[in-house]
Amino acid sequence: MADSTAAPLPLEIAGMRKSFGALEVLKGIDLKARKGDVISIIGSSGSGKSTFLRCINLLETPDAGEVRVHGELIRMRRRGGAQEPASAAQLRRIRTKLSMVFQSFNLWSHMTVLDNVAIPPQQVLGKSRAESVQAAEALLQRVGMYERRHYYPAQISGGQQQRAAIARALAMDPEVMLFDEPTSALDPELVGEVLKVMASLAEEGRTMLVVTHEMGFAREVSSQVMFLHQGSVEEFGPPEDVFGAPKSDRLKQFVSRSF
Amino acid sequence: MDPFWSYGLMIAGGAGWTLALILAVIPVGIVLGLLGAAAKLSSWRVLRLGAETYTTFIRAMPELLVIFLVFFGGARAFNWLLAAVGFPEIQIDFNPFLAGVIALGVVQGAFATEVFRAALLAVPAGQIEAAQACGFSRWQTFRFVTLPQVWRLALPGLGNLLQILIKDTALISVVGLADIMRNAQIASGATKQPFTFLLLAAAVYLLFTTVATAVMMLLERRANHAWRRA
Repeated sequence: MADSTAAPLPLEIAGMRKSFGALEVLKGIDLKARKGDVISIIGSSGSGKSTFLRCINLLETPDAGEVRVHGELIRMRRRGGAQEPASAAQLRRIRTKLSMVFQSFNLWSHMTVLDNVAIPPQQVLGKSRAESVQAAEALLQRVGMYERRHYYPAQISGGQQQRAAIARALAMDPEVMLFDEPTSALDPELVGEVLKVMASLAEEGRTMLVVTHEMGFAREVSSQVMFLHQGSVEEFGPPEDVFGAPKSDRLKQFVSRSF
Repeated sequence: MDPFWSYGLMIAGGAGWTLALILAVIPVGIVLGLLGAAAKLSSWRVLRLGAETYTTFIRAMPELLVIFLVFFGGARAFNWLLAAVGFPEIQIDFNPFLAGVIALGVVQGAFATEVFRAALLAVPAGQIEAAQACGFSRWQTFRFVTLPQVWRLALPGLGNLLQILIKDTALISVVGLADIMRNAQIASGATKQPFTFLLLAAAVYLLFTTVATAVMMLLERRANHAWRRA
């Protein structure tokens, strides 16, 4: 690497593979995210993009490959035919640096919006209750959810739930944020408010990986676009190149269908 | 004093023992049920097998048989065990109350295992994944996410078990606990007025189950609080 003296990359993935039974979903994927990169991962359904994201924080266990977060390798060991994390403690620590926003929000239904955001830093990062609540309130202010902080998830709209979920992810002050189709479960009129929050995060220099079907977002907000097809990276580059001058026929087809 | 009142008071005293038995069995059943469910869903084969054996055997046996086994065999087995680990001088005796708590607790635990197992499986996977993605440990995930949600899902099933427990306490009368049932029988025999005192006993059981239903409704309302749309 030419810039080996520079600070370690927020996220570096090499040779990630994953199969479900006989179906090979990821066929060796590499990715380097620099600080402030917003990488949109696009592709048709079944291309492996969500699996790829879930393999990064080990919600799915990849069969092979290396994940490095800020230079630190997530240690894996073999057991039988499969891999598993070698150290649960290390995995927990690294997961706090890779917070995730889910397609179906996954706010904890029995907690208020405020607790959803305040409990993780309190329990996992060991911050005080007062400090966690104060930080949570500031973050909820930022995503426009402060007024609803005492509501339960069942009492607010999908767009509001997803904005609260983004605040929860931010509360861990992560190195990289992983977004797994964050707007796919939303009614069309609620998509905009979530994308706006995400664009503002991109602007402040957050490093983000975004699996998305929102081509407008991918084109306008991301710094890099990764096009996945059948578990392989078909094209990777800045959005001007990927959308403006797609090289492969598959990407051309995909782009023409998407706009 | 009129025999009706003196025997009535005796049955009321029995109601105290019945209530004490119910209150003592509930935590035993809940703890055994949670442990049993956790074991059944564990990735360790030994634990799964152990829990499966437990629920299969206990649920196959009439409660009365379990009570006899514990009352007549329990103390002997326990003393033998104490001797085996080097305390032959300690000898304990199972009184009817203790035998009742153990026997009914073990029976309730077996049924509660199935209630909690179903509830654990019904917690949406996304709730657990969100905790893992935040870096929660397994214990933290259980404590802050799974348990509060399992509680809500298990409550209707547990309410059912509570009703059964209230009535099963009557079985302990056969080993001599002076509960509602036993005192009602004594009163019936002594006064030759079985109907009066059995009906009185029936009224007390009805009172207990009615209060239990009300308490469960209250708990369910509280547990469902967060799921109600405002």
